[in-house]
Amino acid sequence: MQQTGIRRRAKRWLRDSLPFWLLLPTILILLAVQVYPALYTVWLSFQERNPAGWEFVGGANFRRLFGMGLFGESIGHTTVFLLGYAGLTLVIGFVIALLLNRKLRFSGLYITLLFIPWVIADIIVGIAFRLLVVPDYGLLSGILQNPALFPPNGLSILTAVPPRPWIGDIPFPPAPAMVYLILASAWRALPFVTLLILAAMQTIPSELVESSRIDGANPRQVIRFIIIPLILPTLVVALFSLTLSGMNGVGMVFSLTGGGPGSSTEVLSYMLYSIGWRQLEFGRAAALALLIAAVNWLLIGGTLRLTRVEERSH
Amino acid sequence: MKRLSTLLFVGLLFALIVSACAAPAAPASQPAAPAEPAAAEATSPAPAEAQEFVTWYQYDENNEDPASDERVGNEYLRDTIPVFNEAFAGKWHWVNQPKAWDKMAAELVAAVQAGADVPDLFEGGSGQVSLFYKNGVMQDLTEWASAQPWYADMDPNALLGCTGPDGGLYCIPVAQRPHLVYVWKDRFPNGFPKTPEEFLVEAERLKGEGLYAVTFFGSTAFDGEGLTRAVWTTIASFGGNLDDGQGNMTLNTPENVAAVEFLRTLVQSGYVPEIAFAGGFQEENAFKDASAAAFPTGLFGYRYVNPLTAPNGTEYSKGNQEDMLDAIEAGDVMLSPFVAPEGMTPGCGVEVSGFAIPVGAKNPEGAKAYIDWIMTDAAQNSDWVLRPGGGFPTLKTTQASADFQTPFYQEAAEVLSQSACRSWYGSMDRKAEAQKLAMGAIYKVIKEDPTADIATELQAAQDEYNAGN
Repeated sequence: MQQTGIRRRAKRWLRDSLPFWLLLPTILILLAVQVYPALYTVWLSFQERNPAGWEFVGGANFRRLFGMGLFGESIGHTTVFLLGYAGLTLVIGFVIALLLNRKLRFSGLYITLLFIPWVIADIIVGIAFRLLVVPDYGLLSGILQNPALFPPNGLSILTAVPPRPWIGDIPFPPAPAMVYLILASAWRALPFVTLLILAAMQTIPSELVESSRIDGANPRQVIRFIIIPLILPTLVVALFSLTLSGMNGVGMVFSLTGGGPGSSTEVLSYMLYSIGWRQLEFGRAAALALLIAAVNWLLIGGTLRLTRVEERSH
Repeated sequence: MKRLSTLLFVGLLFALIVSACAAPAAPASQPAAPAEPAAAEATSPAPAEAQEFVTWYQYDENNEDPASDERVGNEYLRDTIPVFNEAFAGKWHWVNQPKAWDKMAAELVAAVQAGADVPDLFEGGSGQVSLFYKNGVMQDLTEWASAQPWYADMDPNALLGCTGPDGGLYCIPVAQRPHLVYVWKDRFPNGFPKTPEEFLVEAERLKGEGLYAVTFFGSTAFDGEGLTRAVWTTIASFGGNLDDGQGNMTLNTPENVAAVEFLRTLVQSGYVPEIAFAGGFQEENAFKDASAAAFPTGLFGYRYVNPLTAPNGTEYSKGNQEDMLDAIEAGDVMLSPFVAPEGMTPGCGVEVSGFAIPVGAKNPEGAKAYIDWIMTDAAQNSDWVLRPGGGFPTLKTTQASADFQTPFYQEAAEVLSQSACRSWYGSMDRKAEAQKLAMGAIYKVIKEDPTADIATELQAAQDEYNAGN
């Protein structure tokens, strides 16, 4: 009798705790690869290295960061980059998706070709785009450096100094190198965004679009009042992805401009790389990493909030 | 039951967090003293087979590409590894792990601090001493090195380059790499100018001929690497300094301002090609095709700057280090000190390259055997200096050897005897940060904003660096 009770209890325990045991491997992996590095980064951000080992320095790493002239500049560059990169990719991705959604001839081939940039590593894309505009032998240099096309002296993208900012120290209009970096980054991200939007467009019932046309909606109105509201969640996902990759990606900046000319393409992620892996100031790099994480959260939160408002208004 | 599993879960989570918050596997906090070779031999049994001795070089013996930038070092390893393995058969077996030149120091620091595998020997030099010292990465070799017979034969200045802030010897210098100016002789019929004023006159003449007077590493690429080259050469030639000897940056000084003003004049007057600011070492291209008449860079630069086309049309097109040596021997290229204001000695940068033994090396005895071999065997010493070292020997006896009496080395020695070479960073221990800050400020005033006040910008960079002291 007692044995049956124990067995029953054991069975129930096993049944109740089964989800936990099934989740445990995933939890352990997440703890090891996400929670541990995150906590270690927090710990590191309050430390400084000296010959005797790590030393607790309180908020000194954060104070030093805020005291760096480049820190403020990098925030400006990052903002310009993110706006340009996410905006351009979304707009062009949307337009291409619209065209592909019309079921053109060879659209399968177009999609295949479109996917090529996505499978190339960003560091390689950076090198390729750099080679196009190297002052001496770049494929596009002959055109860009033609004074007739770009007066008065032609345009050398990798060395041209940024124009004077219109407002205070805000780096706008951006340096030619920043514009080029945005173009290269958008080129690489375009396939993913386009396919994402195209997939969403293909879920829109055709009756809906047709009936709106019968009701007299012109193409612009169809896009504005039918397509965009229906694919809005997908656009938000695309925006998330672009924001995070733009905020945290370093490969393209590293291989295309190296943060230059001067500091005109030095974005926060490159600054983090530079402090961490060039200057080997791991404490200060950890402090910057935490700040970047905070900005990521703010951006995601802001985007979510905005899109909720948008969804409600529709 | 639910409670039990929850408790178990919380317990596990807590254990992981506690382990995560613990200090990282600490490397020996103080650079460890080298083990006594005799003691090591006495306690460990004679190895049945050769032990692996691991090196980190920026060269790769398996890269046989004749167009590789690092072919000289690659060939060195390819030739020397079998010789070493034969000389130390049954004792040491040399295994090289090639590393990227601009990332190997960072990788080593990370490896030592994480308690990961580190090499027994690291090919590095004076430029990394302060960084490695601060991060507790290198073993102090003073005791061992000073007991070796070759120690007394070393150039004291070279030893100084490997000396840490605590007086310890953190690397063994094998080659000294000074900076000088490579010049297309035909571009300066009256000889390379001696003063900045003379140089500007020549530059204007060359500009009239559609040529550039000088190309140099003018970009901020590689976190301000350009500072260590022509920019420092200019500052040093104007009698400037970047530190006060107490670890502080002194960027805003009258001498430095004058040097930067000179660079600004060169750039803004169109005497420097635009490619000098493109980064990626592309400034060399303007010298290769002789569109730029002079190129201040490191002595070791000869191996990278090729193929060459002389102003008279002669082509040096082997596509390897012999091109520059051939051009020098033919008299098309000459070496020269940089210009210096009247009454001043031309300045230049210098760094030493050699070997260091990281903390945590598994076979430091293998590394010491290798260093000893390179420093004792005259042929090996010359070979190392000529190939991976790319500079002048630190051993006085090797300096006198026939290998260093070639036209290239003789001319370089003559030039250097007229210059005062010193390291740019002096007493600053955050070298990488100083380099980025100073080059950023200088780039801004010479290229980006020619109307900016030089002293103000230099002072801002100086203050920012010194705020971290």
